[in-house]
Amino acid sequence: MKIFSVIAIIFLTAFCFSFSLQQKKEYNNLYSSSLGEFNNQLTLLSNTIKGADLSHERGRDKIREQIKNSRLKMKGLDFWFRYFEPNVYRRINGPLPVEWENEVFEKFEPPYKREGAGLTLAEQYLDEEIINRDSLASLIASSVAALETFKADSITKNLDSYHHFFLANRLFILNLATLYTSGFECPDTANIIPELQSMLKDVKEIYITFDETFPSTALSKEYLSLYDKTIDFVSKQPLQFSSFDHFGFIKDYVNPLFGINQQFIRSYSVVTKNYNDFTLNNDCNSIFDKSLYSPQNSKGIYSLIEDEKLLTEIKQMGKLLFYDPILSANNLRSCASCHKPTEYFTDTTQATAFQFDHREHLPRNTPSLINVTFNHLIMLDGKHISLQDQAKDVMHNEQEMNNDQKELIKKVVSCKEYKDAFKKFLKYTPEEKEVSLSHIVSAITYYYADFSNYSAPFDGAMNNKKAIPAEAVKGFNLFMSKAQCATCHFAPIFNGVKPPYIGSEFEVLGVPEDTGYKKLSADKGRYNVNPAKETLNAFRTGTIRNSAFTKPYMHNGVFQTLEQVIDLYDVGGGAGKKLTVNNQTLSSDSLRLNKTEKSELIAFIHSLNENIIFENPPPELPKSSDKKLNARKPGGEY
Amino acid sequence: MKYTFTISVFIFCAVLSRCGSQKKTQYDIASHVTAENKAIFIERAEKGKALYKIYCAGCHGIFTKGKDSIPNFTDIQIDNYHATALIGLDPKNHAVAKKMSSDQIDYVITFLRLRKVKKIKE
Ligand code: HEC
Repeated sequence: MKIFSVIAIIFLTAFCFSFSLQQKKEYNNLYSSSLGEFNNQLTLLSNTIKGADLSHERGRDKIREQIKNSRLKMKGLDFWFRYFEPNVYRRINGPLPVEWENEVFEKFEPPYKREGAGLTLAEQYLDEEIINRDSLASLIASSVAALETFKADSITKNLDSYHHFFLANRLFILNLATLYTSGFECPDTANIIPELQSMLKDVKEIYITFDETFPSTALSKEYLSLYDKTIDFVSKQPLQFSSFDHFGFIKDYVNPLFGINQQFIRSYSVVTKNYNDFTLNNDCNSIFDKSLYSPQNSKGIYSLIEDEKLLTEIKQMGKLLFYDPILSANNLRSCASCHKPTEYFTDTTQATAFQFDHREHLPRNTPSLINVTFNHLIMLDGKHISLQDQAKDVMHNEQEMNNDQKELIKKVVSCKEYKDAFKKFLKYTPEEKEVSLSHIVSAITYYYADFSNYSAPFDGAMNNKKAIPAEAVKGFNLFMSKAQCATCHFAPIFNGVKPPYIGSEFEVLGVPEDTGYKKLSADKGRYNVNPAKETLNAFRTGTIRNSAFTKPYMHNGVFQTLEQVIDLYDVGGGAGKKLTVNNQTLSSDSLRLNKTEKSELIAFIHSLNENIIFENPPPELPKSSDKKLNARKPGGEY
Repeated sequence: MKYTFTISVFIFCAVLSRCGSQKKTQYDIASHVTAENKAIFIERAEKGKALYKIYCAGCHGIFTKGKDSIPNFTDIQIDNYHATALIGLDPKNHAVAKKMSSDQIDYVITFLRLRKVKKIKE
């Protein structure tokens, strides 16, 4: 009898235990079953490819149809896949066959070659005149193989706790604002909104199952009700992405969802173990807030200093140095010579600035320094990984400031004001025993980085529902759809940094040497840093913010007006103008934008003009003990 | 016997004198590294040492007279720290790493990696 009751107790506990385990599994099961369904779709697709008549449109259409079905299942898994292993996901949903990436936390390593495969590339391949069955099949075989990674324990164990959920959800929401509605990975634009609808519903199921499995860290009623409204909004929108209200979608739904999800991340003490969260800031409540992701470290050697008073002093020294031609060999050029602080820290008067010799010109246009902090790689070819490295480089570059490092430091400390200040700062930088170039450049980067913290009317519209002109709203909707701008310029900075904001992108546009498109610009761009077939003539995507004021445009300053820039895209880049650009990443088809549409795009660009408060130059520069140096003029002479 | 004694005294003195001058950290740099690069490595490691004393030694052992009590982190531990420090995974103990510039982190890591450690008997 006793034995019997013991056995009964054991069974009972086991039963309860297994029941609780089973409950915990719901969420896990949803993942596995979705994955299984997708796997089946891919098998069907492989079989379709095997049996289809590739020489006829009918056969190709059969494959297209099956790709469409598979894509819908894929979209239901995107929520997890993109967060867990974005580089493996690239073999299922890669936008390009080869991409070169250099992520911020891997700064000291050479760029990675990432190979893409999967449904998007297969769909594009079907439009080629001659199709090789094996090549087509291998694009899908690659995806099937990639699925194995997503079945591995190392990934599925994440599903046993709630932490990953809110982080994956954050990435999902950020992509709703940037990728999913722009056609970034969806070659057939007719499918963009239908896929979005299906995806939103699938994610709803993920939400419900998550809440059942993890009731103590569930999504709030507020969140779910807003999410339902989002689904409802999208279901009532036109199916064409160019008529879709991108602006309202992000302003009234996506961005508020982001804010609530950030609250969950904080209140549930969500912990990350994933590099996708590396730059994202948990304390930020809006996608259109400059604190969304951590920018370049502008403090450099002063990184560990927190004393506000001291930091203000450092900034003051940085300002003086920014205007001080003492940094150049002939004491005639300062940073402000080319980056004019009253002209958005660029030079709007010249296509490219003078070289040191004051005769020849440099090969590239002076970039604005505003919002450069939000680039992960610096310079148009991504040559530098930090602002400080860039500043050091320009100071000793023969064509720019042509200075010797030791000589430069000597000149700077020959000025009492600088010497006293840097001697003081030195006490807070234990790794250096003497005033170094790092002290000088870090003060400068810390000074100018401040000018990247302003916001624009467009941010006000997103954050506080402040009105912007109706034309600008239309322009944004075009930007996100027909004009295809958003496939390279991503919110919120509208530069080449896309969620999760850990790397900078480069593009090949076929920019001409002259406005008549007679010749392709000879500048090899990214190729100089990372020589590869794909990087020839590629340049880092810049920000659109303030671009109304930062003419001339493109890496060589070839265009004087925004209209000319938009025309470059409208005609399909250099290739659209019959220049030979074998690796252009911009489609060579015309966008067919009409005059009104172009002016609406420009109205949107104007809504990104930031309310920057510029400062006056310092009235005078620190006096040196070397009399010869005291003829220096603030800002330099050319 | 006498022979052994002399040797022992010699070794004893040698050890003692080494301890006295231990202020200078010894570094272990592969022999194929050129003298020029070696100097750069040591310069970076010394910078790392200065930072380590302030920001890490409080928890991980300090430089006492003659002898340091820094744990002999394994390469894997150092790699782990490097990766997690950059991502900011340990906000409790290692929050300072997230604030450091990438150069500063590199200095500390170089210091830990190159610091000569006595091999522990298995
Ligand atoms: C507040 C105390 C504290 C400070 C300050 C601190 N650590 Fe640690 N560190 C710890 C603790 C506790 C552990 C062990 C627990 C762990 O692995 O998280 C650890 C572990 C480590 C490890 C081993 C990691 C592993 O994966 O095994 C390394 C390497 C390390 N610390 C380096 C540093 C460096 C470098 C600094 C200075 C920049 C530093 N620590 C500052 C407390 C500290």
